[in-house]
Amino acid sequence: MTLLPFAHALVARQDLPVPAWLFAWGASIVLIVSFFALAAGWRRPRFEQVGWRPLGAGLSRGLCSRPAQILCGLVGVFLLGVAVYAGLRGTEAPDRNFALTFVFVTVWLGFAFFSALLGDLFRPFNPWRALGRAFGAGFRAIAGQRPAHLAYPERLGRWPAAFGLLAFVWLEVVYGGSGGVAVGLDPHVVAVAALVYSAYVLAMMALFGVEEWCERGEVFSVYFGMFSRLGCFGVEDGRLGLRPPLAATTTWATLPGSVAVVVASIASTSFDGAQEGAFKSAIGSTYEWAIDRGIAALTAQRLTDTLFMLACFGGVGLVYMLGVRGMRTVRGAPSFARLRVGFAHSLIPIALAYLVAHYFSFFVFQEQAQFTYLLSDPLGTATTDLFGTASAGVDYRVLSANAIWYVQVGALVVGHVLGLTLAHDRALVYWRNYRDASRSQYWMLAVMVAFTCFGLYLLSVANG
Amino acid sequence: MRNASKASLALFVLVAAIALAACGSNESTVTDATAGPTATKPGGKPESASMGGKVPTIVVRNGEPVGGIQELEYNAGEEIRFEVSSDVAEEVHVHGYDLMQDVPAGGTVSFDFPAEIEGIFEVELEGAGEQIAELRVNP
Repeated sequence: MTLLPFAHALVARQDLPVPAWLFAWGASIVLIVSFFALAAGWRRPRFEQVGWRPLGAGLSRGLCSRPAQILCGLVGVFLLGVAVYAGLRGTEAPDRNFALTFVFVTVWLGFAFFSALLGDLFRPFNPWRALGRAFGAGFRAIAGQRPAHLAYPERLGRWPAAFGLLAFVWLEVVYGGSGGVAVGLDPHVVAVAALVYSAYVLAMMALFGVEEWCERGEVFSVYFGMFSRLGCFGVEDGRLGLRPPLAATTTWATLPGSVAVVVASIASTSFDGAQEGAFKSAIGSTYEWAIDRGIAALTAQRLTDTLFMLACFGGVGLVYMLGVRGMRTVRGAPSFARLRVGFAHSLIPIALAYLVAHYFSFFVFQEQAQFTYLLSDPLGTATTDLFGTASAGVDYRVLSANAIWYVQVGALVVGHVLGLTLAHDRALVYWRNYRDASRSQYWMLAVMVAFTCFGLYLLSVANG
Repeated sequence: MRNASKASLALFVLVAAIALAACGSNESTVTDATAGPTATKPGGKPESASMGGKVPTIVVRNGEPVGGIQELEYNAGEEIRFEVSSDVAEEVHVHGYDLMQDVPAGGTVSFDFPAEIEGIFEVELEGAGEQIAELRVNP
């Protein structure tokens, strides 16, 4: 059998699979915790009222002021420019080029992790939002009126963001993963993709309005915005404030297509985690099947990976839908559509847990590269040494295998508990009768246990 | 409340089953460990790295590892020793540890370094970008 070149773009070190004993402990804790969640649930919703209270006025005025917004916007646009320039003019080696690590690690993972803790950090730095607002301001100055926009088709909701999210991860792990042994994605492709995406976003903003598109269609805003709902920092009416953790998730999924966004997030991480472990042999045999039908190797590989990624999307969505369908059978249940939207936010902690479990070590290692040689020598051509760190390397000793395992399993268990918490809370809103609410949660419990144990399983057979 | 007690019973059985499974797999890892401390997996291929105290050799022919990508497995703290003999002039790169050595055409290079970074690493022919071995360092 041909060995498939599945190597990840930037990975020089891969995680060891979680040992069986830790897998068993993790799964056991999940089940025991779930049991207690059923037995000792609270009886009144606790997270539905977003109790937001403003932080100090001075702090708010400083952080949300116009100059601060303009400065953050400029930083965002500048960094996008650096990434595109490095991609176009820099080395072809993915690991030596600023563009890849910056886009796929620093931004994609970094904003997801830190937004969950500190609130919607991406919003002020979003280069497209900054450009869109600048164009809008210019238009107002010249034409003397606000730009007119088309009405956004309400039914479309966040579907463009869901598809965009899948497309972004596809570019990274399917298109980039199939270029040959350890080649990864060509930085040039990243730069071109960034330019094409920028043109698309700016066009959509011109059509539908900047904030409208950021809320619904702009992949990064929607994705990081989703995770930012978990934390306790938020901005309302231009003021920074504190809210109870998790509370802001309860109002997130009201736009159509939100379910697809969170499902796409779980599915794409699952696929990346499974392609070198759980699905390796299945992907291999599908690939062989395609080759036997006379399809060229590279096409066959991309086709196979695409199919499995879509299968992950379908599978994750199906498990959630089955849980929702199950809840419908409980006496006094609201409509299927209402339930489907109503419990989507309980998957956000699971999506974050998957992300932490699969990329935490990669993030820690690759950020060392980002802040040493990639910063000093962004083009990777050994012609610049801006900060004197161009010859530094990544120290892989900063995390032991045990530390990584505990973070991975811990993230999944915590995500599981938070997901159950949100689902239980929502059930109390839909079912006035506490016993019916509890009964409905057997179904969501099954969904959560399935996702968490699948996540643990992926870790235990990773890179096998 | 019958539903709840049934559910708790089911959960208990599941937990117990998983705990039992864990004990079983623990035993198997213990026997693995006693089988050979410098565990070098032969991978079922005749040309693969040699066993029995000898230093494993990765043979490269026509720029490709004979018998496919070789697996080298060590525990942290051990000494990693292996050789690469190649029929083409190449540079051998051990990722993560970031060690490089040139091998002349028809020659052999030997690596000898302590296993101090845990994880899975590629050993690669840098010029061709061809992976020749997978190095695993367990904690």
